[in-house]
Amino acid sequence: MSRLESGIPGFDEIFSSVSDFDLTGFPGNTSTLIIGPPKVGKSIFCYQFAYHGLSIDEPCLYITADEGMKQLQQNMIDFNWFLQSAMDKEMLYVIDSISSLSGASIETTNTYNLSKINDPTDLMVKVGLGTRFVFKKSEEFRSVFDSLTTPFAFNPEPMVVRFLKTYIRRLKEAGATIIFTCTEGIVSENTEKILKSIANNVIMMDGDYITFRSIEGPIGTAKYHITDKGIIVDKGEVL
Amino acid sequence: MKTTHIPKLDDFLGGGIPEGSSILFSANPGVECEAFGYQTLQSRLEDGDQGFIFTNVAEPSDITYEFDKFGWDLEDSVDEGNAFFVDGSSYFIGAPVSGKYYVKDYSEVEEVVIKAIGDVPNGVGVINNLSTLIDYQGDEETVRIINKWNQVAKELGTILIYIFTQWDYEKGLIHKIEEAMDCVVNLSTIEERVIIGQGFMVTGASWTKPSSSMVLFNILRPGGVKIFIPKLLVTGPYNAGKSSFVKQIAPDSVSVDRMALGQVPTTIAMDIGHVEHKGFIADVFGTPGQERFDLILDVLSKEAVGAFILVDSTAPKTFARAKEMMKRCKAEAIPKVIVANKQDLPDALSTDEIRKVMNTDQSIPIVPVSLLNNEGIDEAMDALLEILYK
Amino acid sequence: MIVRIASGIPGFDDFTSSDDDLGLDLGGIPENTATLIYGPQGVGKSIFAYAFAYHGLTQDEPCLYLTTDLEMGDLYQKMASIGLKLDEYSENEMFYVVDAALSDSGSEMEDSDLYQSTSVKNPTDILVKVSRGARMISNKGPRFRSVIDSLTTVLESNNPVLIVRVLKTYILRVKEAGGTALITYTEGSSNSSTEILIKSMVDNIIKLDHGKITIEAMKGMGRKDIPYQITEKGIVLDNSE
Repeated sequence: MSRLESGIPGFDEIFSSVSDFDLTGFPGNTSTLIIGPPKVGKSIFCYQFAYHGLSIDEPCLYITADEGMKQLQQNMIDFNWFLQSAMDKEMLYVIDSISSLSGASIETTNTYNLSKINDPTDLMVKVGLGTRFVFKKSEEFRSVFDSLTTPFAFNPEPMVVRFLKTYIRRLKEAGATIIFTCTEGIVSENTEKILKSIANNVIMMDGDYITFRSIEGPIGTAKYHITDKGIIVDKGEVL
Repeated sequence: MKTTHIPKLDDFLGGGIPEGSSILFSANPGVECEAFGYQTLQSRLEDGDQGFIFTNVAEPSDITYEFDKFGWDLEDSVDEGNAFFVDGSSYFIGAPVSGKYYVKDYSEVEEVVIKAIGDVPNGVGVINNLSTLIDYQGDEETVRIINKWNQVAKELGTILIYIFTQWDYEKGLIHKIEEAMDCVVNLSTIEERVIIGQGFMVTGASWTKPSSSMVLFNILRPGGVKIFIPKLLVTGPYNAGKSSFVKQIAPDSVSVDRMALGQVPTTIAMDIGHVEHKGFIADVFGTPGQERFDLILDVLSKEAVGAFILVDSTAPKTFARAKEMMKRCKAEAIPKVIVANKQDLPDALSTDEIRKVMNTDQSIPIVPVSLLNNEGIDEAMDALLEILYK
Repeated sequence: MIVRIASGIPGFDDFTSSDDDLGLDLGGIPENTATLIYGPQGVGKSIFAYAFAYHGLTQDEPCLYLTTDLEMGDLYQKMASIGLKLDEYSENEMFYVVDAALSDSGSEMEDSDLYQSTSVKNPTDILVKVSRGARMISNKGPRFRSVIDSLTTVLESNNPVLIVRVLKTYILRVKEAGGTALITYTEGSSNSSTEILIKSMVDNIIKLDHGKITIEAMKGMGRKDIPYQITEKGIVLDNSE
């Protein structure tokens, strides 16, 4: 299995402790669910993961479903992460499925597309276009979906799950390393179970500890902090 | 018969859709399917019929805007009373409802749409989107409702068009939905790790035996559903006439420098153009013939759906290279036509002789062409299209 | 650096400022975010909202106020009773009220640029009116404040699923227009998943509970708490002189 750098200091080291392989890093071409209560840093993980990839020339397909493009950029600027150059280089393709609700009139570009929160069919079309665009840049790329919370708030649960399955299948075929987030406790227990089973890996964040259950079996956990440089993970242990 | 004005579709359906029929556009996730419903509605409105759109995925104002981007004035039709909305979306996202009818509770959907059907006898209704209906109503209730709608529509001569995204539903449900329809059109993706194209195919119609060809299409704004050939490759040995061929089929073609991917990146010149032939459109790429540029063939061929292999009919020594290039560009798997150029020269081999030397079977057409005399070019295009749309 | 705007709550801005030596980082509420003020009944959530709205007015930041429990007249009186006099700002067209607290008999006031009546039972209408208000008020200057007091009343009168969607849209629109939103909500007044959704949709979460104010989440800082009192001047944190 290929490995890539998550960009979260200390996090990749957990893998080397949970993995038999002599490789450190985030498992490539897998899907990972990041789940936890509100405000524990799930989105920050996404920003950091995407931004680090871009900084080492790994392109990214970013679907923003909670915050519009403007807020997304603003949130990242709070950590001194700037997206402009990646966008200029067309390394980043953003699908914004929420701004249509804000009533702002926004123009789409080569690398910025709009969709609607209650139209999974349209979102899947845009994902197809975005995937092809990013795939052409590199066959190894990252894909972030942040988050499922708003789609779940606006749609029946089975619809979001159906979309998600198709999304993950398509992106995995294209070679992407996928992370997607969801707030814990907003869907039925059964749906939450399905979400965890769809993903190869599950990262749980609770505000103090980040816990990782990998495709390879073992579970690693460590304390983490949110700083003005993003998330920093302490030395972890295998459970 | 009512025409859809979707290219090829009317032909496949024996001229169009009979009054009172139901038609399902059943799309793989990722295919742009709405346009099929919207374009049919627009065509019917232009022909003087009345129609409506039931929407549960977009606000009516969004759909009016979509029509606008296609170059169709839906607002005008609405103002004149020829078209209206059944708004099953706005209320559920907290937006003000609009349209002649609206839904604030999903239990109202069945009756409201029946009213709408009654308002447009011999007209057309578009249901966008059936998948969302399933998520709100459940499988069995949805099947019951669409059977009811189709029955009412049949009595009144109203055509019902369903937009359906085929997520991972139970096979039994999909079967029941298809059974409820007079006609099913599958919209599928053409994939090579990523979606590289989309096509439609009529899989059944109660009134005719439809052609089972797959038609590649693109959605253009403005324009709507257009048949297309995504990318055509023009390749062949050095000096076979590739550039002139590209110039002939795509008069506005240009020669551009492109970075060739590979271990040693190099810049190479390529001929790129846009071809329109009998309503079909395509992008054409003419590749360099020299062996050192073979890598670009690998890259381009991943995206191509058809290829012209040019050979110099007077130079049988280059035929082996042509075959090598066909292999190189994975042309074994994509439709291709061998263009036997320079037929104007006295020592040109005939197509039969070329086929013998090249040792290729009959499935690959060899078309005699003289670029110098402007002969055989349309025939070469026709030959490729015939394979593409067979 | 995260830009913060003064809260108007004595002690709060000091409490939320980071300890940088230069004193550059003034505390307060992060600008252009949404903040949830929640806790049990009677702990001063509305009073927090009054102070926040009023302080903005004194800083030339107009305010869009959705009131669901007090009709506009009562709101004016209530705020005046803790020394926050609105009349001047109303005259200067700084204070824009969407009044959803009216009884079914309707309003005695006519709708105007500064006053729109609506019904707590009609979330779509509320959204239309606050959106219009946000657009209008954003034309007056680069920043403004936007208050919902309280979300609980709207939730209780409608299907919570729909209200969560309306809230999301509201927050997006206020932030898009450059505003800073503050929303009050009574803990436990809706089911757990609705409450989690609400928390997920805001940027900052402040809990008031029996004499203790807890910053549960805020851009750029960790969780912390401090005792507070409700005085005749409103909410006062224990660190204030």
